[in-house]
Amino acid sequence: MDLHDLTAAYALDALDPDEAEAYERHLSQCEECREQLADLNETAGSLAFGTVAPAPPAHLRVAILDAAAAERSNVVPLLRRRWVARGLAVAAAAAACVVVGLAVSLSQSSNTRVVTVVLGANRTATLHITGLSSAPSGKTYEAWVIPKGTAPRPAALFPGGGSTSVHLSGTVPPNAVVAVTLERAGGVPAPTTTPIFAAST
Amino acid sequence: MNRQLAHLSDEALVALAARSEQSALAELYDRYGRTAYGLALRVLRDQALAEDAVQEAFLSVWRTASRFVPERGKASTWILTLVHRRAVDTVRREQRRRADSLDRAAEPAVEGVEEDAWLRLQRERVQAALRHLPDAQREALELAYYGGFSQSELAERLGQPLGTIKSRMFTGLSRMRELLGEPGTEISWTSTT
Repeated sequence: MDLHDLTAAYALDALDPDEAEAYERHLSQCEECREQLADLNETAGSLAFGTVAPAPPAHLRVAILDAAAAERSNVVPLLRRRWVARGLAVAAAAAACVVVGLAVSLSQSSNTRVVTVVLGANRTATLHITGLSSAPSGKTYEAWVIPKGTAPRPAALFPGGGSTSVHLSGTVPPNAVVAVTLERAGGVPAPTTTPIFAAST
Repeated sequence: MNRQLAHLSDEALVALAARSEQSALAELYDRYGRTAYGLALRVLRDQALAEDAVQEAFLSVWRTASRFVPERGKASTWILTLVHRRAVDTVRREQRRRADSLDRAAEPAVEGVEEDAWLRLQRERVQAALRHLPDAQREALELAYYGGFSQSELAERLGQPLGTIKSRMFTGLSRMRELLGEPGTEISWTSTT
């Protein structure tokens, strides 16, 4: 199979999934195909305008905007609800570190779950979690760093269970939110589920 | 309808959406929601499935706006590609629909559809370009794009070698590009900034 030949079919979404994957791998190494695809994509996209377009029902616009609002506000309301600092003694952090986030929530079995975000001097961060049950088979916990106003960035994968300390990759900018979601094994590039917890730094 | 953002380019709206500006998503929907719905309906031929495809695509825009790279293409192309991919994924999953004959890619009736002048103009230009193509190339493009058939399904159904189908798609799309690039056939959304 000559992958160069697949550009038009890819632009038309006319490849089977395995062919599309092979082509995408090829694309990362072939400047010529990237340029050609950019052109053919625009043309394929123009076909969208070539069909009769009845007005969509009004409730569709409402549904999209409501769902969008609900998704993006996931982090903050959860935080307000679950940010229960009430007098919990925080384990003394190492001298160079500051505990910046503390979230407590009750799991279904009423075990107290305590999550602390410990921020290092160079804005690296570690999550300390107790009371979080092990991820089910085929699933993993995924930690996210969400710099203010931008999309979540994957920061760590961990199995949970017992007490866990997880180092977050990269740095955590001021006012970022740290969140954890349950995702399929291997992790995902963007969160697909509601955070188990979220804390603002 | 809030059109305070009407003066912004699509790309600027995507950048605002990446900053959680909900009115920017609303404005993008007001610009492309109808085209998106028409496309999804053409591919899926089912209103509920078309609505789902459009909703999922616009939520993808919302979730991944920060990863949109303007240098790689227009925002409108990106949005409509998300809609198309979602619709094609769905139609291939719905095996029931796949049993239909090839004429499922045919254009639905125009009657009773009130269109604005801009959309009608774009449609006429794209359809004129399609009419300029040799029949076999037009058929390959329409069945792939509007019918959601993969190249291997097309080869089988049309009784042609895969290489022939690939070549028809490539030649047809390249020729479309020339036709649409000719003066007077500009079909992009023109920003008023």
